[in-house]
Amino acid sequence: MALHLNLLHEQILEQRQRQRDPLKIGMLVLIGCGTVMFLYYSWNAYRTLEIKSRLNAIERNWAKIDPKVTTAQKRVSELQGIVKTTRTLDDYIDGRFFWAPFLQKVARCVAPNAQLTSFEGSVFEEKKGVSVTLEGIAAGREPRAAAEDLRQLLLEQLGQSYSEVKVEFKSLEDLDTMATLGGTHMPTARYTLAINFNPAPAQKPTPATTPTRQKKRSDT
Amino acid sequence: MKLTKDQLKKLGLSTVGFVFLLYVYFTFFLGPLNRSRDVALAKINDRQRKLDNSKEEMAKAAKLEQNAKAATTRFGALRAVNAEGAPIAWFPPRMKAFFANEQIDKAVARLEGNTALKPEELSGWLRYNWIIDLPQADYGTLGRAIADLENSEPLLCVTRMSIHASPDAPQFQHVELAAANLIEKK
Repeated sequence: MALHLNLLHEQILEQRQRQRDPLKIGMLVLIGCGTVMFLYYSWNAYRTLEIKSRLNAIERNWAKIDPKVTTAQKRVSELQGIVKTTRTLDDYIDGRFFWAPFLQKVARCVAPNAQLTSFEGSVFEEKKGVSVTLEGIAAGREPRAAAEDLRQLLLEQLGQSYSEVKVEFKSLEDLDTMATLGGTHMPTARYTLAINFNPAPAQKPTPATTPTRQKKRSDT
Repeated sequence: MKLTKDQLKKLGLSTVGFVFLLYVYFTFFLGPLNRSRDVALAKINDRQRKLDNSKEEMAKAAKLEQNAKAATTRFGALRAVNAEGAPIAWFPPRMKAFFANEQIDKAVARLEGNTALKPEELSGWLRYNWIIDLPQADYGTLGRAIADLENSEPLLCVTRMSIHASPDAPQFQHVELAAANLIEKK
């Protein structure tokens, strides 16, 4: 067996000690950490720059679109205002009370022996109602009956087009003056009629559905 | 391996220096960078949301423009019903001409006043109240004239009507109309 003698053991020990120098090791570790940290920072900086360039592109895009969007928003609110105003105006127009058909109905109801002398009508917008006062002179053998006929006819005719119709005498008094109708002298009466109604048409009652009773089955 | 006192001192100082270095790195380098990146990302999200919304807004505006065509035309027509200028200047002559055309002479329209309208949508409109006096009308002609008036003046509403027999001219009736007209504020 060959004998090995290490004559350089002191030199080798010194070399090993130099290699294990904590300052040197520390410096190496520090350089490693610094490199890692620098790379990590560079990576982050690169990502940040990329994000900022994306942000700049979006900002440019937004700067182009922003005036158009503002104009579009203004137009939308303007159009919405127009639509709402038109709807409200249409409601106003549709909600008006039309006097012409009413005058026509009154004209059709007034017989030659029940002349009108005065007509006063008002529309109550808050209550959605119409109030009319008619004054006139009825002539006939029974002048009060002629006035009553007019009241009945008005009630019937107005009830066809309007709802909650009320036609009532405010006054009905005989007059001393005589009127000539068809060559004959007739006594006269002065009447005042108060008419109240809702211009909305009367709703026709819906036919009630009668429940059909099922026949019981009988065994017999 | 046994460390000497000097080496231990150096090691301690190095550790402190390393910790300080880490602190500086995270606080003054990486921290601001991350914050700046987060701010940029938040801005991107915000802008992106605004861009998406803007596309919706523009599409909505285009759709509304199409849908509101009828309303816009109607609104224009209703505005055109009333003439330009002060209503007192054009309404009475218009009524006089209208009733003259309907064979009712001597029509006079007087302004009673104007009031603001309650609905918020009509804040740009005023209600003008007029008294229209027709001293020489007969019932049948009046009925036709009022029918034409109600049809040709959609923004005009007759609120009160008074008809009296004329003692001097039994063939005529004296008529007084109270009418309200909606007119846009100029």
